[in-house]
Amino acid sequence: MHSVVAIKQVPDTTNVRINPETGTLIRDGVPTIINPYDIHAVEMAVRLKEQFGGTVTVITMGPPKAAEALIECVEQGADRGILISDRRFGAADTLATSYVLAHAIEAIRAEHPVDLLLFGKQAIDGDTGQVGPGVATRLNVPLVSYAIAVESFDPVKRRAVIHRKIEQGVEVVEVSLPLLMTVEKEIAPVKRAPLSNMIKAATYKPEMWSADTPVQFDITQVGIKGSPTIVGKAFTPPPREAGAILSVAEKGLRDAVAQALTMIGQAHVVTVDLHV
Amino acid sequence: MATKHTFDAIVVGGGPAGTAAALTMARSGLKTILIERGNFVGAKNFFGGVMYTHAIADLLPDFWERTPPFERPLTEQGYWMLAPDSVVRMTHKSEHYKHEPADAYTVLRAQFDPWLAEQASKAGALVVTRTAVLRVLQDSKGKVIGVRTDRPDGDVYAPIVIIAEGVNNLLTQRLGLIKNDLPPRFVALAVKEYISLPAKDIQARFGLTGANEGAAIDIFGDATMGLPGTAFLYTDKAGISIGVGMLLDEFIQHKLRPYEVLARFKNHPVIQPYLEGGKPFEYGAHLIPETGYDRMPKLAADGVMVAGDAAGMVDALHREGTNLAMTAGRMAGLTAIKAHQAGDFSATFLNQYRQDLENSFVLKDMKQYRRMTDFLDTTPHFMGTYANFLNDVALRYFTAHGIPKRDMERQIVGMLQERRSFFGVAQDMVKLLRAMRG
Ligand SMILES: Cc1cc2nc3c(=O)[nH]c(=O)nc-3n(C[C@H](O)[C@H](O)[C@H](O)COP(=O)(O)OP(=O)(O)OC[C@H]3O[C@@H](n4cnc5c(N)ncnc54)[C@H](O)[C@@H]3O)c2cc1C
Ligand SMILES: Cc1cc2nc3c(=O)[nH]c(=O)nc-3n(C[C@H](O)[C@H](O)[C@H](O)COP(=O)(O)OP(=O)(O)OC[C@H]3O[C@@H](n4cnc5c(N)ncnc54)[C@H](O)[C@@H]3O)c2cc1C
Repeated sequence: MHSVVAIKQVPDTTNVRINPETGTLIRDGVPTIINPYDIHAVEMAVRLKEQFGGTVTVITMGPPKAAEALIECVEQGADRGILISDRRFGAADTLATSYVLAHAIEAIRAEHPVDLLLFGKQAIDGDTGQVGPGVATRLNVPLVSYAIAVESFDPVKRRAVIHRKIEQGVEVVEVSLPLLMTVEKEIAPVKRAPLSNMIKAATYKPEMWSADTPVQFDITQVGIKGSPTIVGKAFTPPPREAGAILSVAEKGLRDAVAQALTMIGQAHVVTVDLHV
Repeated sequence: MATKHTFDAIVVGGGPAGTAAALTMARSGLKTILIERGNFVGAKNFFGGVMYTHAIADLLPDFWERTPPFERPLTEQGYWMLAPDSVVRMTHKSEHYKHEPADAYTVLRAQFDPWLAEQASKAGALVVTRTAVLRVLQDSKGKVIGVRTDRPDGDVYAPIVIIAEGVNNLLTQRLGLIKNDLPPRFVALAVKEYISLPAKDIQARFGLTGANEGAAIDIFGDATMGLPGTAFLYTDKAGISIGVGMLLDEFIQHKLRPYEVLARFKNHPVIQPYLEGGKPFEYGAHLIPETGYDRMPKLAADGVMVAGDAAGMVDALHREGTNLAMTAGRMAGLTAIKAHQAGDFSATFLNQYRQDLENSFVLKDMKQYRRMTDFLDTTPHFMGTYANFLNDVALRYFTAHGIPKRDMERQIVGMLQERRSFFGVAQDMVKLLRAMRG
């Protein structure tokens, strides 16, 4: 059983501010964390390893500092961490990011076949939720997004039953391995890591991959060159105005409703307080 | 599948004491684990802060090449005596302070402590964070054999444990190395703000020529509303550290809230202009042990030694603590190395650590100022009375009234006698001398 988990180191958004002039995040001096969904993806992989044996590999594309995040994953039970880091990868959008991750996963699985790919449902800084699906498409593996539970997992029969969150409720899907899941936090509550993992992680050094060693990436598909996304404008939307409240007790039912109808006609949002 | 974790030495706490101990032992080849409960080493630590290079150099002779994260070297130091609307300043500025590395630097612990821990890691110590030690493990005879952490499969074993848990010394207490919890009379509470300000403003306000100069001012009198305690104003690279500290007992007795005392101090007409336009960036509170030489815990027992704030190693008069902690940690580490060579971890053998400390400035200074806390305790009016008196004297002295100077001198003596009888003054001075001379 071999799982590969893609994690992203993100600014701790509880501390983040927006530069009002440029509309971009102020990242300087903001503490970083593992994207909150991703740590649950790691936990899920570790639980399957505990059940079936095998290995958990964690990969991330990011600056050298992202090594910390990989070490934290080793604390949580991952076996191997790979940091894909190169100046040329900078300023990647979801297209370029998914290329780099997919290409790295291809190299990993050439050496050691992969049964399961795990991603967070979205990154709290980019918030697109596109990277997981993008990688699934590139690698041509089935995608289960917004997964909340693994009902069954059979590495021998190569089938899994997974619950995913959809707008109407929960969808239960049966899917063949290898597959790619993007996960919600419910997938697996994070357990406190045992001391042996902490001791292992204290001296663990993640593998460092650049744009050309040990794997050659297609430079035209990475970083700013490989990113067709153009950010036109980023702004904070004005706060919504409060809706009007027409009190039936004050106006009487007839007047309140009549006034409400006029206002709806003028496309306002109205709450009619029927409390008499 | 619980694994038994066995090391040559365990250190509890990643402050200067613990890190110095871990570094010393790891460097000599002992398999050492340092356990720190904070998110990272230094995450939970803060102080005034002035760091003294002599203690760092003893630990790491080449520390300067390892680029420690210092803020500013101290080129001006001294005291301000504050009255409600005035100040008498006595500071010392000298070109003699200007050498590299300087004798003392201001430091931010959230940067310094991780740096020091990195040096310990490089020396081979295993630094484990986000892990708290819940208790010390003992065998049936009471000999310390390891610690229990708050993690699954979290017991760690070693023939020697160095406790450097800081002022809130719960493990030291539970081991019975000290009888009581810290009484509020023997512990100070300090609150501090880090106010960020452009370097050029700091330099202009404190009369510094550049980043190669810095000031550390300790302030008495009205800063603590005349109660026993001190306040401080230290320059960092692009910020000012400002804080007040008083015995916990004073806060309780006078029903004062620490942040109110700090807010009042910050608004003092003499202090306020230094902070103008600055943005509060960080606020914190921390205890300082004022237990003194005579109430220190036992420093060694079978398989265990205690170092730093956990053992009350602070010289409050000179606001020294980190250097005592680092020196004690280093000496505990050296004793642990010898214990391993001798294969003897008994209290008798480990008491060599206490001997080494008695022969160093750490316990010599502690011994000399052993009466300091009692002095403040029995002379609570001291700071308020004399700081106000000095300010009144200065005002009288520097104002011309068209009266003979002899009359002015008499008035000054009269002003003192209004506050304190001749006998009272004499008593205060004798007590102060005794507290200073040990
Ligand atoms: C409007 C907008 C403007 C942007 N502008 C810029 C810009 O100017 N410069 C810039 O550098 N970036 C920019 N980004 C960010 C960048 O496009 C994305 O952060 C990046 O491509 C990943 O997408 P995401 O954060 O939306 O991840 P999502 O698709 O939301 O992430 C889902 C999951 O994918 C995985 N994942 C995502 N990123 C990584 C990674 N790097 N390594 C490993 N796993 C990963 C994680 O498992 C994560 O939980 C912008 C994003 C947006 C939405
Ligand atoms: C406001 C203030 C101003 C000061 N100014 C100065 C100054 O200017 N110069 C100076 O030299 N000294 C100063 N001091 C004193 C100095 O800060 C201390 O003496 C020094 O930090 C003591 O070091 P230590 O290693 O013993 O303890 P600490 O630095 O307190 O370190 C103890 C460490 O142990 C950890 N810990 C505690 N319990 C556990 C546990 N059970 N498990 C795991 N980890 C644990 C803590 O998280 C902490 O990291 C000041 C103190 C204060 C509060």
